Amino acid sequence: MNDERRDGLLAQALTHLALLLAVGFALYPVLWVISLALSPSGTPPARPIPIPDAVSLDSFRAVALSHDSAGRWLFGRQLANSLIVSLATALASVALATPAAYALARFRFVGDRGSVRVLLATQMFPGVATAVPLYVILDALHLLDTRAGLVLVYATTALPFALFQLRGAFEAIPRDLEEAAMVDGATRWQAFVKVVLPAARPAIAVTCLYAFMAAWNEFILAATFLSREEAFTLPVALQRYVGEYDAQWGRFAAGAVLVSVPVMAMFYAVQRHLVGGLTAGSVKG
Amino acid sequence: MASLTVRGVRKKLGANPILRGIDLAIDDGEFTVLVGPSGCGKSTLLRTVAGLEEPDEGTVLLGDRDVTRAPPRERDVAMVFQSYALYPHLTVRENLAFGLRLRKTDPAEVDRRVAEVSRMLGIGHLLDRFPREMSGGQRQRVAMGRAIARRPQLFLFDEPLSNLDAALRSQVRVEIKRMHADLGATMLYVTHDQVEAMTLADRLVVLNAGKVEQQGPPLEVYHRPVSRFVAAFLGSPAMNFVEGDLANNALRAEGLSLGYDASRFHGALPPRAVAGVRPHDVVVSPDRGAITLRVEVVEPMGSESFAHGTIGDQPFVARLEGGAIPSPGDTLRLDVDPSRVHLFDKDSGRALDAEAP
Amino acid sequence: MTRALFLALLVALLAWPSSATAQRLRLWHAMRGDEQAALERLLRAWREAHPGSVVEVLAVPYDAYASKLESAIPRGHGPDVFIDAHERLASYQSRGLIAPVPEADDAMADYEPTAVKALTYDGRVWAWPLSIKCVALYVNTRLVPGDPPATLEAIEAMRATLPRGVYPRVRVAERVLPRGAPARLQRRDPRRARRYTFVGPEAARSLQRVIDMTRAGVIPEEPSGALVSQLFSTGHAATAISGPWLAAELGDRVPYRVVPLPDVASEGGRPMAPYATVEGAFVSAHSHDPESASLLARFLADAPGAVVRARLGHQVVANRGAWAHDPDLARDPLLATFRAAAARARPMPTNPAMRAAWEPARQAILKALRGDMPPREALEQGLHRFEDVTRPLPRRRDATFALLILGGLAMALVVAALRRSRDREFRVAIRKSVPAYAWVAHAAVIVTALVVAPLVVGAATSLYATRNGESYFVGLANYWDILTARGGPLLATGSFYRVLLVTVLWTAVNLALHLGLGMALALLLARPALKMRALYRVLLIVPWAVPSYVTALAWKGMFHRQFGAINAMVTALGGEPVSWFARFSTAFTANVATNAWLGFPFMMVVTIGALAGIPKDLYEAAEVDGASRWQQFTKITLPMLRPTLGPAAALGAIWTFNQFNVVFLVSGGEPDGETEILVSEAYRWAFTRQAQYGYASAYAVLIFVILALVSRRRAEEAR
Repeated sequence: MNDERRDGLLAQALTHLALLLAVGFALYPVLWVISLALSPSGTPPARPIPIPDAVSLDSFRAVALSHDSAGRWLFGRQLANSLIVSLATALASVALATPAAYALARFRFVGDRGSVRVLLATQMFPGVATAVPLYVILDALHLLDTRAGLVLVYATTALPFALFQLRGAFEAIPRDLEEAAMVDGATRWQAFVKVVLPAARPAIAVTCLYAFMAAWNEFILAATFLSREEAFTLPVALQRYVGEYDAQWGRFAAGAVLVSVPVMAMFYAVQRHLVGGLTAGSVKG
Repeated sequence: MASLTVRGVRKKLGANPILRGIDLAIDDGEFTVLVGPSGCGKSTLLRTVAGLEEPDEGTVLLGDRDVTRAPPRERDVAMVFQSYALYPHLTVRENLAFGLRLRKTDPAEVDRRVAEVSRMLGIGHLLDRFPREMSGGQRQRVAMGRAIARRPQLFLFDEPLSNLDAALRSQVRVEIKRMHADLGATMLYVTHDQVEAMTLADRLVVLNAGKVEQQGPPLEVYHRPVSRFVAAFLGSPAMNFVEGDLANNALRAEGLSLGYDASRFHGALPPRAVAGVRPHDVVVSPDRGAITLRVEVVEPMGSESFAHGTIGDQPFVARLEGGAIPSPGDTLRLDVDPSRVHLFDKDSGRALDAEAP
Repeated sequence: MTRALFLALLVALLAWPSSATAQRLRLWHAMRGDEQAALERLLRAWREAHPGSVVEVLAVPYDAYASKLESAIPRGHGPDVFIDAHERLASYQSRGLIAPVPEADDAMADYEPTAVKALTYDGRVWAWPLSIKCVALYVNTRLVPGDPPATLEAIEAMRATLPRGVYPRVRVAERVLPRGAPARLQRRDPRRARRYTFVGPEAARSLQRVIDMTRAGVIPEEPSGALVSQLFSTGHAATAISGPWLAAELGDRVPYRVVPLPDVASEGGRPMAPYATVEGAFVSAHSHDPESASLLARFLADAPGAVVRARLGHQVVANRGAWAHDPDLARDPLLATFRAAAARARPMPTNPAMRAAWEPARQAILKALRGDMPPREALEQGLHRFEDVTRPLPRRRDATFALLILGGLAMALVVAALRRSRDREFRVAIRKSVPAYAWVAHAAVIVTALVVAPLVVGAATSLYATRNGESYFVGLANYWDILTARGGPLLATGSFYRVLLVTVLWTAVNLALHLGLGMALALLLARPALKMRALYRVLLIVPWAVPSYVTALAWKGMFHRQFGAINAMVTALGGEPVSWFARFSTAFTANVATNAWLGFPFMMVVTIGALAGIPKDLYEAAEVDGASRWQQFTKITLPMLRPTLGPAAALGAIWTFNQFNVVFLVSGGEPDGETEILVSEAYRWAFTRQAQYGYASAYAVLIFVILALVSRRRAEEAR
């Protein structure tokens, strides 16, 4: 299995064939959406190979330049909403989770295991049932229809997730590092800030990305909690292009491309660290 | 520099006692090595001195200052970790300066000290590298440099050589010894390697199961072990132990009769005991030899060779000089200088010439 | 410093009021195209006439309109004025969402009596009539150049003369019965309107008619509103039955004319007489400024406004003054045709249970259209469904007993805590924990408030019966109903056990595919001689990077019967196009294909990581020992992957078990709710079946219990 001399030409060709098939499977829907976005008619091409007859940016223009009746630039506002909400969700939940995750990874205290178990349990409870109580809470706080309210809603999933992710990351960082810092004269907090956090940077970046992506991509809760067009995030705006009675597939596709490109760029920027944070070289050979 | 005093330190991990009442007094400038098998509590003791663990009972004094409950940063100690624990996101220069900057040392002074340390350890060319860009030996040096740059009252080493290969290890060992001579600092060094322990220590502390088994200058501990445990732990190959009856200033068993120096033993000796003989103290004596060794395996080392075999049914190793190499199956007659024969209680393992514990 | 600035900026942005002040008037509608343009023109006129007033408009998609109104209005987040069809009037009125029109007797004199009557309920008028919507026949004049067909039979006969791929007629089949049904269906007594009447021999006969036409290729399969405009506007339909809204979307893309609905020759030449819907401007009962709201509603309905709506938005306006005011309107052939149709039509009845009737009726019709069931039985089944949803709620129960148990538990907890606090070791442990608490306190508070509290409240809701806003304690009755399948057969469609089986199958199939594909690709990528490894890897994780709802909607499009890429492929290979969402097996396959696409990259990346951790010399040792490649795989690779893949698979199983997006967006439970999984079923009870939150919560708790039990078993096995 690891001896390359054994891989004859045939075996290599078969490997490439299998991988190419898989790549085709992976890329097909994406190409389909792109060709739909570029096709001038905005109707799906009823053919197997997703290449549009002609290329036109009309759908992109229609989506990106959408204005509301009062002449406000809707797409701009919705883009801003999505960006602010996703960024705030990612930063707030990671900032809140980081010290707590560190404590869960390092300290033994009364209730440590219990709280991890409770956290784990919350992940098994489907969100459908908590949507209604959350709606009532947001209403009581006068946060319905606001960005801050949406951030709170997204934090309910992002925060437990960040806690788990970061706890794992901190457990993977050798204790020696922070002990060395403390012997060198650091307080526990200084050791955390100056040594542990920088060592956990890749894991923190990945956690931020996940939280950002989750918020950027979410639409069901946003559609439930928002009721003004200029408060919408992009997914809510997008989903409305393919309603039951009027399907504007071209605009949906153009919008989908616009929404996906930024997250995909971010995803690829950190994809090297997707599984497991790295502290290579700091300890041992 | 300062002296270190540890008094009656006890610590439990859960229900499991790790340290069971440790007393140590280390003089200013002394190089002390804590040695013992894994799990004997030596690392825990070191970490207690560093302030990384808090003892359940007892006190730790640095100079005259009670630091038992003080956090590590208030103790002014430096520590070299087995894993080196270099900060992965900092360059060598920043690693060396880390502790100094935390203490708000004047930047010019920081630069001066970093330069001095890097010259001393020959790591000047590595200053702008990151830990992951260096070899194991280089990392180890940086880890020591980080401690030296701090100029602490006390240096702590936690098995700092165990991740190096054999050649590098003996080289760095010598360097540490030289460094101690140059700095004249108080050092506490933990290892399970008895060669390191013997060669580095001014004072050797042998720990066993959370207690100090014996402490003193290394040669004294080597030659006058207070227990079978210490005797077996130091020396390679390990000391031979044979059990037999005591009578007429000799220990007898099947295939051997060992004379001992009765003047070393005071009071009445028990009828049966365990004799300890180091392989190096054995001489071949075809005429007068009172020990008959049946050779089973021979290890020729060039200048010497080791013959493994049995006396009666008890295993025994003998070191043989130079060229005369026996073959498996041969029978050798051996003799031992009575002053080199140790006697241990066959149940407690205490040396019979040791003072009552 | 920069970081602090950045944070400050972020806080400022969050606080930046995206919310409106109470002084504004909010108007909601579900209009599109020209109708929307007409409305906006009117609002500009309103702003000119009332310079201080700000009107905020929201176009809500029709699908979500009613549920959004119902949740937003009582909490003061809803509109002041909203435009909606009269059918929902009773449901809104019964919840107190709307205010009646003041002094209606005088005000309504200007409006068509049919429209006013439709908007009257319980003796009062509840909205300003805007327009009357009903359907007529659109004819593509290029495909049908001569006289328009006069009878339904004539249209059916056109099948023979039209080019392949062109349907003689399209219409929204699911609306056949409610909106534009042949005449017979309408013979029902409005006084018995509370009953579900999409049932009986006459309904079955007219449904059979539609089925025959579908089989004959007269109308396309799986018709929907979007498909009607799609096909007609692209010249793929010779005729279409639709309302004026279609004209608004068509523009000049296709030459057409509109004529009255054809007669039905087989029914003695009677004309098809459809239902009409009256659209009105409602004023919210919770408006911040009822007077202005009422003024705005009236402004929209008044003659000058009606003229604008008629001209720009092609609406058959209900204001009689408008027709008198602008004689051009009456001369417009399109409007005239629809006005004539409106005069013949009869408004659909309204009652609070109306909305619960749509889903079962639609399912029943679709089922019959697919030929899964004879029309009559399908309609009967629809009736049972309707009764299921609107079944009497469980009996109210005394909560005292539950409160006693709860109180007892609380007491026991307090006593246990007190007893423990006396224990010396525990106190030492607590004292030692204090520094750690400083690190976790803030997160603990927030998690408790945002995650645990809603969850506990949600779980507690499952002990209540809730429907359409009313709510009372019923103990475990919801669970009893779910676990006994509400007295029906345990494995009937929509019963808990059936859905559970589907969910388990769904989870198992997906997990197998994720693991299989992920591992196979990872092993291929691990081959040492492979070229372009990095490129393959980057391309293969694309599905992970794409937002999952985009993926789901794209796949739904690809599985579309008429223009989906999958059917295009099938056709290119010489097969017949498949109606993917018409059968459980194909709909389930479509869901699985989507989710497999979504999930395999994760397992692949995990496997690549785990493979890298297997020491090479193990394989060398095995090779020296004479192991074949297959043996190396089963004896080394698989066991060494287990510690990493095991937890990843457990995680994947939980995700898949609760994979809402794919099921909801791709198949949407089609056909007939058979591909629904537990989470999406819970969602339906909460949000589309009369807001039965309590029932939905009981589902959620059951899902939780299942997952908790299974993962506990797993953890024990691992130990």
